[in-house]
Amino acid sequence: MSLLFISDLHLAPERPQVTEAFYQFIDSHARDARALYILGDLFEVWIGDDDPSDMADEVQRRLAELSASGTQLFIQHGNRDFLLNRQFMRRTGATLLPDRHVVKDHGRRLLLMHGDQLCTDDRDYQRFRRKARNPIYRWVLAHLPLARRQRIATEWRRKSRQENRNKPSAIMDVNQAAVRRVMHDEQATVLIHGHTHRPARHALDDGQKERIVLGDWERLGWCLRSEQQGLELLSFAIATPAAGV
Amino acid sequence: MITLCTTMGDISIELDFDAAPITAQNFLQYARDDFYVGTIFHRVIDGFMVQGGGMDIDMVEKDTRETIINEADNGRENVPGTLAMARTSEPDSASSQFFINVAENGFLNHSSKTPQGWGYAVFGDVVEGMDVVENIKSVTTATEGYHRDVPVEIIEITAIQISEDYDHL
Repeated sequence: MSLLFISDLHLAPERPQVTEAFYQFIDSHARDARALYILGDLFEVWIGDDDPSDMADEVQRRLAELSASGTQLFIQHGNRDFLLNRQFMRRTGATLLPDRHVVKDHGRRLLLMHGDQLCTDDRDYQRFRRKARNPIYRWVLAHLPLARRQRIATEWRRKSRQENRNKPSAIMDVNQAAVRRVMHDEQATVLIHGHTHRPARHALDDGQKERIVLGDWERLGWCLRSEQQGLELLSFAIATPAAGV
Repeated sequence: MITLCTTMGDISIELDFDAAPITAQNFLQYARDDFYVGTIFHRVIDGFMVQGGGMDIDMVEKDTRETIINEADNGRENVPGTLAMARTSEPDSASSQFFINVAENGFLNHSSKTPQGWGYAVFGDVVEGMDVVENIKSVTTATEGYHRDVPVEIIEITAIQISEDYDHL
């Protein structure tokens, strides 16, 4: 049975077609898999596990169904949904993984990361990341009144759309030295990450090792499948051929 | 055979009058009327499809004839190199805009006679110039007004050639 890896769905109420594609993905692909790994940024923004929105509720219900049907569920934080916490994991039956996690599958050592940690050339972002990962900052943010957090989230999503922050051109790529270091430290044969929105397979060390970048879900959805035969990076369409304005 | 002469090269197609008689005849009529001359490929998504046949170079939608019924239940599938009709969310709403599949788009096939399941009618195949389609799918795109995935460099259909064996149709 296979393992599936996805990331960067950036689920948001403004993009119902992506949420719908995720539900279809659960029903068509994930149910037959041994495990589904979500490597960060499942949500465009997560304001806390007490999020009362319909979308948050429905996503958790679908994930709970999936894990109850026998597919193990693992989640890593991204840079946009780092407030996902225990309650979400309990409701969905998911396990929260650390920011670096190694999975052994068919003789491979797969290192899973969201990928933002590897963009070390982006000094401003790394400064923000240190702040966001600080437990005190998180605690304060998570304990703001719900209405206040909802406003912050709405504003964040609006800015994100306006400034095209999810476009690859707005996100710095990974630093190669950082990639080599972390793969060496973890003795990984394959590094799987998202974040940069530059889906690709990169051979390293003359093909001995590999870095696989998952794509963000927008017009296409992306998924990596690990089976005995090998690894396969799949994409599928989300948009439809709409005529008219 | 119908050849779309574009600014990126020629794409020749055979229409499938057996599987999709109404849609094929509809496309042939637009071709005979030179409707497609001056239209562009205005929506290009690599890994999915390239769409055109409705907008001019200023991204203004051309006036079309009446919409046609949806023949997506003809058993033909949306696989790379097939031609199908674009439409709105209403199943029987195709007019002139078509798309060329550049991936296995199984989710566009007919699955049920419901608005969600009707699918997109395949009515022809690219028989020559698939390399041109491959080049088109890889161009750089941007957002223009309300339209996303618009090629930055205009890809225009400059002429249409219809072979003699279509004369009797």
